[in-house]
Amino acid sequence: MVDPQTAYLAIAMMAIVTLLTRLGGAYVMRFVTVSPRVTSFLEAMSASVLAAIVATFVVNNGTREAAAVAVAVVVMLATRSAVAAMVAAMAFAAAWTAFIG
Amino acid sequence: MDDVSPAPKASVSFTARGIARGGQRLLPLSVFVFPFGVAYGVAAIETGLTADQALIMSLIVFAGAAQFAVLDLWQSPLPFVSMALVMFAVNARHFILGAAISPYVNPLPARHWFWSLVLLTDLNFADTYKSVNEGRRDLGQLFGGGLALWAVWALATAVGVFAGALLGELERYGVDVVMAGAFAALSVGMIPNLRAAVPVAVACVVAVITLPVLPTGWNIIAAALAGGAAGLVFPAQPKQVP
Repeated sequence: MVDPQTAYLAIAMMAIVTLLTRLGGAYVMRFVTVSPRVTSFLEAMSASVLAAIVATFVVNNGTREAAAVAVAVVVMLATRSAVAAMVAAMAFAAAWTAFIG
Repeated sequence: MDDVSPAPKASVSFTARGIARGGQRLLPLSVFVFPFGVAYGVAAIETGLTADQALIMSLIVFAGAAQFAVLDLWQSPLPFVSMALVMFAVNARHFILGAAISPYVNPLPARHWFWSLVLLTDLNFADTYKSVNEGRRDLGQLFGGGLALWAVWALATAVGVFAGALLGELERYGVDVVMAGAFAALSVGMIPNLRAAVPVAVACVVAVITLPVLPTGWNIIAAALAGGAAGLVFPAQPKQVP
């Protein structure tokens, strides 16, 4: 059991770190010129971070989760709707649990 | 501040109309944040957080993936340094989002600059970034979208904390794949053409290879840097900003 004071201190620390990441990107760019190369780097990085989190999730889980992510990707490519992709992935995972286990 | 930003300074704004527009556009999307928030509430209680701790974390941290990641480290005594590093690693993408939107945010007065960024997430970033590139440069949209997501995130956490146990196994509803499905869709949405898919593929490979050897969360940073570097070699076709 974590004592309450330490727990709240940890939560406050998490909030501060998160706020610094939210403000930091724009703040740093005040002192850096935005070249096309920087833009290329950042654009590739933005998509890469999300994809890396997904890849880590897939490796840490099973076939059901990997298939659900594949469904999300296919639906996104077909419809260009993130909402449709998420609904499809959830429905697929729920159906898998119901029918396969 | 004399940067070469593509946005003329006079053309950016932060208005109540923009806030309303962001809220309206993100509220439908935030419906799909809901199951994720419920899942977080349930997981937090299972980990040993109290109801207020779980709720306050959602209210003042407001970072889904990072909040989930830190639950793995929730033990007595709390490992503050590891927790801070994991928070930073998982949230480092905010840095990238903030940098990407900076040409439009930085010309704002300090007060509006702060509020534009304070609720920055992937979802409201993607929404506002699309709008500013189309010429709608009201950064209130970023805050309004964040506000809708924040309210739903906190509400969903409360539901997860107080009623989650009644739902039983969350896998039955597919709740456990919400975050991965959302991130996969958003990532695909950021890929305009086949060349732009190369860095993403590189990032996935690096994330998987470095997962067993790096501390929690740091494989994501390695993958992001590798993806960014690959983006220098295979840049997406430059698109003209109208």
